[in-house]
Amino acid sequence: MAPTLELYTRKIGHPEWEEPFVVNMGPQHPSTHGVLRLYLELDGETVVRCDPRIGYLHRGLEKLSENMTYTQAMVLTDRLDYISSAANNTGYCLAVEKLLGLEVPRRARLLRTIVCEMARISSHLLWLATHALDIGAMTVFLYCFRDREWLLDIYEKICGARLTVSYPRIGGVRLDFTPEIIDELYQFTEEFPTRITDYETLIDVNRIWLRRTKGIAVVPPEKALNMGLTGPSLRGSGVPYDVRKFRPYDAYDEVEFEVPVGKNGDTYDRYRVRMEEMRQANRIIRQCLDKLAQTEGEPVVAEGAPDLLMPEKKKAPRAVPHPKKGFMVKGEEVPVVPEGEVYVSIEAPKGELGYYIVSDGSGKPWRVRVRAPSFVHISAIPEMVKGHMVADIIAVIGTLDVVLGECDR
Amino acid sequence: MNPIRTIFLTEIAKGLWLTLRKMFSRPVTVQYPEERKPVAPGFRGRHALVRDPNTGRERCIGCLRCAKVCPSRCIYIETERDPETKRMVVKRYEVEALRCVFCGYCEEVCPVNAIVLTEFYEYVGYRREDLYFDKERLLANWDEFLTTQKRPYFNPYWKPRGVPEKMLPAPKRKAEGV
Repeated sequence: MAPTLELYTRKIGHPEWEEPFVVNMGPQHPSTHGVLRLYLELDGETVVRCDPRIGYLHRGLEKLSENMTYTQAMVLTDRLDYISSAANNTGYCLAVEKLLGLEVPRRARLLRTIVCEMARISSHLLWLATHALDIGAMTVFLYCFRDREWLLDIYEKICGARLTVSYPRIGGVRLDFTPEIIDELYQFTEEFPTRITDYETLIDVNRIWLRRTKGIAVVPPEKALNMGLTGPSLRGSGVPYDVRKFRPYDAYDEVEFEVPVGKNGDTYDRYRVRMEEMRQANRIIRQCLDKLAQTEGEPVVAEGAPDLLMPEKKKAPRAVPHPKKGFMVKGEEVPVVPEGEVYVSIEAPKGELGYYIVSDGSGKPWRVRVRAPSFVHISAIPEMVKGHMVADIIAVIGTLDVVLGECDR
Repeated sequence: MNPIRTIFLTEIAKGLWLTLRKMFSRPVTVQYPEERKPVAPGFRGRHALVRDPNTGRERCIGCLRCAKVCPSRCIYIETERDPETKRMVVKRYEVEALRCVFCGYCEEVCPVNAIVLTEFYEYVGYRREDLYFDKERLLANWDEFLTTQKRPYFNPYWKPRGVPEKMLPAPKRKAEGV
């Protein structure tokens, strides 16, 4: 029998009969930062259950890279977290370098550190812009994009691309900086702290901002660790875990910086941590630039770094420069990449980004697995939004700083 | 919250004062179609095959390095032997620009600096064929780029800065700008 109108009206107000009110948030919702879909069960405006549905941006990057050589697969890592592609490239290159046992020259390490920190600043700026816009502060959005534009321009001068940079390569970086770039970066680091102060003037003590962020999505330290949060989301809860300090890679052991931590573990503390991180990133860039002057004229690619055109076979003759003629000749046969497996993680702007690579000795990776921070952070959303209002879901997604390109891969 | 701050809206006033100050600073907006931002040297844009000024032909020798290194496999090359001069010549050189990811690997591995990603970025097409560049289109792209180019052009990947010379093939070591 078809349900009548009377039956429907009777259902309302009956707690046993009442079905949960289901709302599908996304995948086209502008505040889900990509194509995240949240299946929400609501009681009035309070969230009872939240179920993230992911996979709308799945491109199979891990599988794709099995059919590519190591150098070709690096281009794919640009598309993981497309806001901070330089950091992704660096993590991948570090993993392959560990397999190969390559020692990267100091200048290349410094250059990589600079582009990684630039990626951190530009990622945090985009996070602040969209997070503030979601919560209702439009001016900050415009200011942040203005400053991010400057960084993208510098990227364009460094390597010729603004977003998908592909700047590091296995064994170093692809190009050295020109003196103009170094001058412009000095100018940037000079000016950027005042810009951060500007954003803080706008929203740090703003009552609307405080009401929307203080006490929202509180994560105690133990819970944050159990949920697998990393990066600023974990440090907001007061756990001073930073890969740059615990397992320093590139030039992070040479530079001085602090790891800011929060106290309460709410959205406001995570905001404060990211703002402070931008200042520290600025400081790191400054120190690296000073150190760059000491390594003037040094090579930026390691001796014995693989050619971009890697052979796909298991064993191939190594190209060695001919002593007199100006070209490479074939040397002895060596394994292209030694057999083995390796896990390397770096502190990406979003959190701990890990690469697990299994090599069977050929020029193609047998398996590449990416430990993406956004994927883990999305799994924490249901816990964090439980009992909050629908409007606070926006704040939670914003505060975790997820990028779906990285989550779905 | 501080009661004085609550009543007098000091933090809101501070923020408004900041935005008011910014009103008098120089605008950073670029009115795009009318004015354009300068493109950085070495920007990875539309593909082109370098025309050798001496021979008037392409520089490409058909070694297939770019086709092999391309991550998206968008370069297609066919070579043949010229019956008169007994030299290898490039019969077909095609780039499917829609598949390209603009990583710049091709220009970096090219031993004779034949393929470049020019600084030209404003190109569209109504059909897919419009962005399927064959050899003539690629050479025409280069000519078009050179006529619009105001400063002398040197692609940074022709001779990567900071890469030791012995790691580069000989023609790359003495690469010159156009």
